[in-house]
Amino acid sequence: MTSDAEVIGTKSGSRPVERLRRLITRRPESRAVILLAIVSLGAIILEPLVFTAYSATLGRIALIGLVALGLTAVILMGELDLSVASTLAVSGVVMASIDSLPGGILVALIVGVCIGVANAFFVVVVGINSFIATLGMLFFLRGLAFVISDEQPVRIANIDAGIAFGKPLIGDFTPRMLIFLAVFVVMHVFTTRVRVGREFYAVGGNRTAAYDAGIPVRRRIFTGFMISGFVAAGAGAINTLERTAADPTSGSTVLLSSFAAAIIGGILLTGGRGSVLGTLLGAASLGILQVGLTHSAVQVDVQNIVIGAVLFVAVISDPASVRAVFERVRIAVRSRRHQQTPVTSA
Amino acid sequence: MTASNVETAAPSRSNTDNLAPRSAVVTGWLADRGIFVVTAVVVVLSAIFVDGFASLDNITDVFNRAAPIGIVAAGMTFVVISANYLDLSVVAQVATGAVVLIGVSNSRGLVVAVLVAAVIAVIYGAVNGIAVGVFKANAVIVTLSTTFIGLGLLRWASGGSIYFGSEGTLIRRFGTFEIGPFPLSMIALVLIALLLEFVLNRTTFGFAVKSFGSNPAAARLAGVDTARVVIGAFTFSAFGAMLGGFVLGAFSNTAVSAMSSGYDFRALAAIIVGGTSVFGGKGSVLRTLLGVVFVSILTNLMVLSGLGFGYQQMAIGGLIVVAVSVDALARKATR
Amino acid sequence: MKLEQPRMQRFKLGMILLMVGSLILAACGSDDAESDASDSGDESSSSSEGDDEAMEDDGAMEGEYNVFALLPQGTDQPYGTTYLPPMEAKAAELGISLTITNSQYDADKQASECETAVAAEPDLIILWPAVADTVRPCLEAAKDAGIPVTVTNSDVKAEDADLTAAYSGPDTYGQGVASAELMCELTGGEETGIIMINGLTGNTTAIDREAGFEDTINEQCPNVEILARQPGNWNKDESQIAASEMITAVGAENIQGVYAADDTMVAGAIDALKARDLDPADLVITSIGNTFLGNPLVVSGELDGTVFQSSSWDGEHAITVAHEVLTGGGGERIVEFMPSVKVTADNADSPEVAPEW
Repeated sequence: MTSDAEVIGTKSGSRPVERLRRLITRRPESRAVILLAIVSLGAIILEPLVFTAYSATLGRIALIGLVALGLTAVILMGELDLSVASTLAVSGVVMASIDSLPGGILVALIVGVCIGVANAFFVVVVGINSFIATLGMLFFLRGLAFVISDEQPVRIANIDAGIAFGKPLIGDFTPRMLIFLAVFVVMHVFTTRVRVGREFYAVGGNRTAAYDAGIPVRRRIFTGFMISGFVAAGAGAINTLERTAADPTSGSTVLLSSFAAAIIGGILLTGGRGSVLGTLLGAASLGILQVGLTHSAVQVDVQNIVIGAVLFVAVISDPASVRAVFERVRIAVRSRRHQQTPVTSA
Repeated sequence: MTASNVETAAPSRSNTDNLAPRSAVVTGWLADRGIFVVTAVVVVLSAIFVDGFASLDNITDVFNRAAPIGIVAAGMTFVVISANYLDLSVVAQVATGAVVLIGVSNSRGLVVAVLVAAVIAVIYGAVNGIAVGVFKANAVIVTLSTTFIGLGLLRWASGGSIYFGSEGTLIRRFGTFEIGPFPLSMIALVLIALLLEFVLNRTTFGFAVKSFGSNPAAARLAGVDTARVVIGAFTFSAFGAMLGGFVLGAFSNTAVSAMSSGYDFRALAAIIVGGTSVFGGKGSVLRTLLGVVFVSILTNLMVLSGLGFGYQQMAIGGLIVVAVSVDALARKATR
Repeated sequence: MKLEQPRMQRFKLGMILLMVGSLILAACGSDDAESDASDSGDESSSSSEGDDEAMEDDGAMEGEYNVFALLPQGTDQPYGTTYLPPMEAKAAELGISLTITNSQYDADKQASECETAVAAEPDLIILWPAVADTVRPCLEAAKDAGIPVTVTNSDVKAEDADLTAAYSGPDTYGQGVASAELMCELTGGEETGIIMINGLTGNTTAIDREAGFEDTINEQCPNVEILARQPGNWNKDESQIAASEMITAVGAENIQGVYAADDTMVAGAIDALKARDLDPADLVITSIGNTFLGNPLVVSGELDGTVFQSSSWDGEHAITVAHEVLTGGGGERIVEFMPSVKVTADNADSPEVAPEW
């Protein structure tokens, strides 16, 4: 079957292995899968509680992952949204300040969308870099959350509903986990099957080409930020419900965890590469790692060192990175060899 | 120029036809110098209308605010110019710097403390720099992970204790000494900023950082050793953060791992407000200095007006967005 | 494009199989979960490079009781740093195997840690709420699982108290009250303008102390007026600058007193006064903590009064109270308040109030 035409450009070797190797190096999620496998293996051996009592683990994954999923939409387009942490806090505070529960949730989600619109406005209309715009919003909204809440936690009106929300709904899955899975499915379908979502990749990969291809880039950016804001607001509403109170200081740890989850999942901060699936895997890896470390009762400082080390190794072991290192080494070795051979005059 | 009759119109060609209209020139100038103008205006207005703003004590307060963050931001400017977003690990480095200064110099003397801090800065610079420069990993995650590791190590090694400096030591004198309204730490900040600006503009390394930041591929083709540039940038950032930690420790005469929280984003805000582009390639440490002073003045004004923390955060966030918006809009007008 | 689909599907299938496989393996391993947990203590300790303490708590010593301690601070704060060793020592003494978490005052993180704790089915959970308003779901989940909960350092809200078996710790509201009472005594009815430096914005301890102080001032000595307030974020340097700026704003001649929510911050305020050539001895200054920084200031007269908070008492009693509940609980809610001992120049030298953190 291996005619010359097929062999051209490919090294000879058994085809399944070749396919596997290409699969691993090409797909952006591969690193997340490997990390997840390693972390899961480690957890099974050392702390099987992570899996036997999986609802706590899933809860942690949902906590990290929900915001990360919304972020993915924005990062795929080559933009960043740092304001999600404060969006989470503000929407929670707004929701708790409104007595009617469905009304509060609705208003919170609307607030999230509005924040997304504002972010997109600064990026698209005014033309600021999204990193800066959302950084400014991060500070601004945090301040707003403090002002609205008068700098202290705000309890929701219907505490029983909140507590019920935290209890498992279907099987062992709490509403948070179900929402998380639902958002994942929607986002996955959106970015892979729906035309508008797939255009996100084009906008991120090569914006000028996307313009030329007739994609309404500005509108897509608005959509992306609105998704991110909406999901972050949703996460804020969920947190507030489960906690039965809105904490204006919340969200700071989630910001960096979500970015970590997305980047471990293979997303490229400059856009065009990555996937919602990768983000899910990244969140799963981080969640299992964190819960496993908690169960292990190791000193908290050491836990942080482990998390940092795992993150570090994960991020430098991107196949592209490893290739880059090998290239450098190869060039260095080759140049040294050339230095040793006498130059014959041409 | 409307000609009433197309045939007869010999279009009067003035020699400014090929240049941008005068208004655009002005706005372009403003875009580059905007932050200077705004700072000057704010200072003048505040001196007139805000009671006590112009007093010597208050000026000292503004500078005391600016100094630690400013030194950190000055170093971090290199990372931003190299198009690597930011260096989150300054949080760990500042805390480590303060703890090393107060903790180590108490037992082993100042010289040992300085040496230890220098070694630690080199390690941070190397680890961050190699990961980002050689492995081409994402700077945000790399520095996030080194922050976790760094803070974890610091707390593990120090047990999380708070360290107290004694009175009357050299450190204490540095932390409290003032020449007129200028605390010694502010003078140190200015000197460091001038030094770093010199490095950025007049050395090959500085030029390499800028060219790498604006176009990495072109820089590599031009023979710039990209790994060395990135390692250098992160090393400068680390040294800046260590020095910032020293200044902070000297000022407060205590050291504890929690004292550096928020330094990463606050330093970045100062850099951005100063006008350095987050895209990399352009920028200046002196601008960062101005950015830090401006943010400190703003916070100072808010405290003087009795505004609470929430409003302060809103103002700083709003400032960042407005400052960059003005810059972006002005640039659009000149195009 | 067409070639992509089957590969993509196969990839996804492979990943799903991997996760399912992991779950199956884990389910098979669940019978050995108990012994695995104690074994893992040794294994994870060996990976943590010389962390002897964890080893003692987990592997080497088969504790009688397994207890989870959900804390919002640890070695990232000076108080937590000196709270932990007495706690761990007492736990080792009483045969309690401790698993400690640090949520760094993030309520969501603590809630997730609570879920993890409940899943681990310990004999008891010690809770130090990150945000007291948000812990009810955690308490209910523990109750449903039959795990008793004791509270340390910051008590839960009154309406949630019946879900907990005990509380031990300082009364953070009461500390603010005590400091205010000191202020009232020392100002003796004279018109006093003070500046106020609060803890980290949004932090429960900061909120409680501020409320306790302000309520008491308003009730007992309205001659004291709070002219300006700013957060010092538990930091000495930030407090110094904030205090100095408040002095500028209000005018040094209008200020006769200073209150800060802890000694570290009041030390910063005192430094601010000294930097402006104002003598702290002329002003009425009170705070909370009686720490290594604060006690000497009381002795030297710069600080007029503070409230002793013993981190070791706090850490120890968290365990002793938990042990009481474990060995014979089920009765009334045990409440042990750490006495808020006022410290002034009179008793600052007394060994009873020797500073601990």
